[in-house]
Amino acid sequence: MLELLAYDFMQRSLLAAALVGSVCSVIGVFVVLRGLAFAGAGTAHAAFAGVALAYLLGLPPLSLAIVFGLATVWITGWVEEKGRMKLDVSIGILYTATMALAILFLGLMKTYNPEVYGYLFGSVLSVTSEELLTIGGLSIAVLGTILLLSKELYFIAFDQEMAAASGVPARQIFYLLLTLVALTVVIALKTVGAILVFAMILIPASTAYQLTHSLTQMTLYSMLIGIFCAVTGVLLSYAFDLPSGPSIVLLATSLFFLAVCCSPKRLHRIQAE
Amino acid sequence: MTHPIIRFDHATFGFPGTVALEDISLSIPESEFVGVIGPNGSGKTTLCRAVLGLMAPMSGTLRVLDCACEELRCHHRALIGYLPQKGMLDRNFPVTVLEAVMMGRYGALGLFRRPSGKDRDIARQALTQVGMDHHRDSALGALSGGQQQRVFIARALAQQPRILLLDEPTTGLDLTAQHSVVELIQQLHHELKLTILMITHDINMIRSRVDRLVLLKTKLFAAGPPQDVLKPEILSQVYGKELVITDKDFIIVEDYHHHH
Repeated sequence: MLELLAYDFMQRSLLAAALVGSVCSVIGVFVVLRGLAFAGAGTAHAAFAGVALAYLLGLPPLSLAIVFGLATVWITGWVEEKGRMKLDVSIGILYTATMALAILFLGLMKTYNPEVYGYLFGSVLSVTSEELLTIGGLSIAVLGTILLLSKELYFIAFDQEMAAASGVPARQIFYLLLTLVALTVVIALKTVGAILVFAMILIPASTAYQLTHSLTQMTLYSMLIGIFCAVTGVLLSYAFDLPSGPSIVLLATSLFFLAVCCSPKRLHRIQAE
Repeated sequence: MTHPIIRFDHATFGFPGTVALEDISLSIPESEFVGVIGPNGSGKTTLCRAVLGLMAPMSGTLRVLDCACEELRCHHRALIGYLPQKGMLDRNFPVTVLEAVMMGRYGALGLFRRPSGKDRDIARQALTQVGMDHHRDSALGALSGGQQQRVFIARALAQQPRILLLDEPTTGLDLTAQHSVVELIQQLHHELKLTILMITHDINMIRSRVDRLVLLKTKLFAAGPPQDVLKPEILSQVYGKELVITDKDFIIVEDYHHHH
């Protein structure tokens, strides 16, 4: 296995996987606690529509992925804030509408373009040096922002109205969280793909949720689980010639079920009953 | 009378087409303990949101801490400790008691600043004041309803507030827990000289503890010492039922009185 690390492409893949695993799993803590799970799914599909349009127009793919992702996540936040319609309904509409746009853009392409499909299903083993730089830069920006504003993010995840009442600029922090979700989706698009990125945001955080009663511990556990699944998933996919995205996600899912079975919270509840 | 810390001057609150509170004029001096009562939908929670600066008056003015409420900035809000109506807490939410109380420091600290040892000491002191310091490392979800209310009061105290706003702090608690929470609030008022605004339905529990009662029914129906406000003729106008005050000074609905 060690000789694999001598290959440039494997070094890039493992680094990209570790970065994506850490960013997705840390932002996932706030997504899970604030109840924004489906906003992540909607954003992922919107970002893919952005990629498809960028290929159609000959633009850098991640530029329009960011635009589409941000537009979707902000509309989602605005709808929740105004309470005009149930959040699941509005996300459902945006989710399917952006997917329809993606299919439309793919249909408008005259030839089959395998690179576009790489963003749908993920292809971590083909990450280029330039893409790795983009992933690295965005990861530092997202993780740095979370580190700087972690106390406010925890507070709005716990109780947004209470946070606003006690002097935290809760509304601005909520929109910042949505922005970070969109950026995270874009970071992970190439490695795990639009369909599975949502799993990388949700599963490590949900696994950590089973294991602890502390917010800071949950974040730490989630990050370790995210990095472990991403890196091990890449190695497994290479060793057994499997697609990388599903390898990462299925490994994370297995850990999740293991955590549910061994959850100290659950065992404590059973004992209490 | 000392300088008012909260002053409503002909203030009306609501949304376009709906008036929730109309033409309220009321001054609350520093260190007063005020009970706010009234039937459901009488505007009690609106009053609370207005004082927090979450709602601006449609007409008239409201000044809190010498500042127009619509201009309350984050540092002002941090001086108002708030206990919202008890919602359903997800029992599995991963937060310890100390982490929840530390959140009370976040508004005052401001963005980008990490809580220091001093903030931790303030949070621990707030937990001691509500008698919960020994639970500081417990999961919040594992506590009883009454203990959780104590923790949330500690979070409000950790803000080192000048005003404490309590929105139905005893709702959903069993009788003993209700009593102990109200006793705690009264004790905090005595010890810390906080201005307290407590919204409640439990007139009997607070009548002997507050300095003044404010009775709302969209308008300010009455305000004054409990014995002046709690008169059968006033209460029956507001609650729409014949209320009687028993020989033990308990206020009950008349039907109940007849049957017992």
